[in-house]
Amino acid sequence: MSARSLLSAFSRASSCSFPRRALSTRHAISRPTGGAARLPSVTFACRAYSQQTPPDPSSSTSQDPKQNPLHQTSSGERDRATVGVFTPTAAALFVLTGVGLFFYFRNEKEKLLEQRRKEREDSQVGRPQVGGPFSLTTHKGEPFTEKDLLGKWSLIYFGFTNCPDICPEELDKMSAAVDKLDTEYGPIVQPIFISVDPARDTVAQVARYVREFHPRLVGLTGDYATLKATCKAYRVYFSTPPNARAEDDYLVDHSIFFYFMDPNGQFVDAFGKASTVGDVVERVKKEVARWEREYGRKV
Amino acid sequence: MGWFSSSKSSETLDPTSRQDRQRCWDSRDAYFACLDANNIVKPGDEGNACAETKKKYEQSCAKSWIDYFNKRRVLADQQQGVLTQARTQAESVRSR
Repeated sequence: MSARSLLSAFSRASSCSFPRRALSTRHAISRPTGGAARLPSVTFACRAYSQQTPPDPSSSTSQDPKQNPLHQTSSGERDRATVGVFTPTAAALFVLTGVGLFFYFRNEKEKLLEQRRKEREDSQVGRPQVGGPFSLTTHKGEPFTEKDLLGKWSLIYFGFTNCPDICPEELDKMSAAVDKLDTEYGPIVQPIFISVDPARDTVAQVARYVREFHPRLVGLTGDYATLKATCKAYRVYFSTPPNARAEDDYLVDHSIFFYFMDPNGQFVDAFGKASTVGDVVERVKKEVARWEREYGRKV
Repeated sequence: MGWFSSSKSSETLDPTSRQDRQRCWDSRDAYFACLDANNIVKPGDEGNACAETKKKYEQSCAKSWIDYFNKRRVLADQQQGVLTQARTQAESVRSR
């Protein structure tokens, strides 16, 4: 059978197997006087419908439905009775709509997920590469590495104990912010001071320095190479000459930001001299809230 | 202590002590107030006008700190001048 005749056979089959109810309007038009929808009248309507399509060489076969393999409803009454309103067309329409809706909603959901994922990625993409591995010594003489930053939010300030005024001011600001956050959340924010003056900032010197700021402030120091590497990882500039001696009287020119890192040790933000205690507290709170939404906990 | 090399004769300054830092800042403020009273910007230009406060200042602060504070005072003054100039310029433009 050619494709053309198959198509016409299908069109006939589908148009002729309309259920009684679906066909009733057309039936009424073609046979306004027709009462009960008996087989002859339906086949008449059927033929009338199929004749509306362009003349087909194979249309003669429709005269004898038995010759049409698709038109199995030679006795259309039995067919209509068995299928009821659920005809192949209705079934096809139903299935198509269902499949269409399924794919549509799946597509929509995927789009939404994609958008959400992109949003999350954006916030990651926007993060500068600040931080990295380091190995320093605390003011108590204990080792401290980047792994000790994990599981807590941290505020990290780079400075030196002989700093005339900016470092103490910034450390006071940081301590005040930590105090406020402590009352809000408990000790989930770790304040850290990292020295950029290895020649003069011994463990003992740093210990004396940090105790006057915050009871939980951790002071870190190390040798020149270690501190230089740490500062490089944190994008901190400092000018201490490598050959400075402890008894020299000099100042260190250095970056005066303090960093805000998340419990994964990832950089979140930096605060400069212009930021107030309130600014710092608000920023930390915002980030903790976001963290809580994402992970269901504060750290 | 080693880092206070400028005036070994006076009491030593411990930069790790909040109290010592505050003492240095106070003496600086007193000295700068004296300079202001004499209309002097650059520390050292005042002659003997502020000898007393200057002595206290030099006793209370490390040499490096003094250099830093003095430089910053001059810079702040220059900055003030630039800002004032910018403001008057902006006002003259606005009134035109």
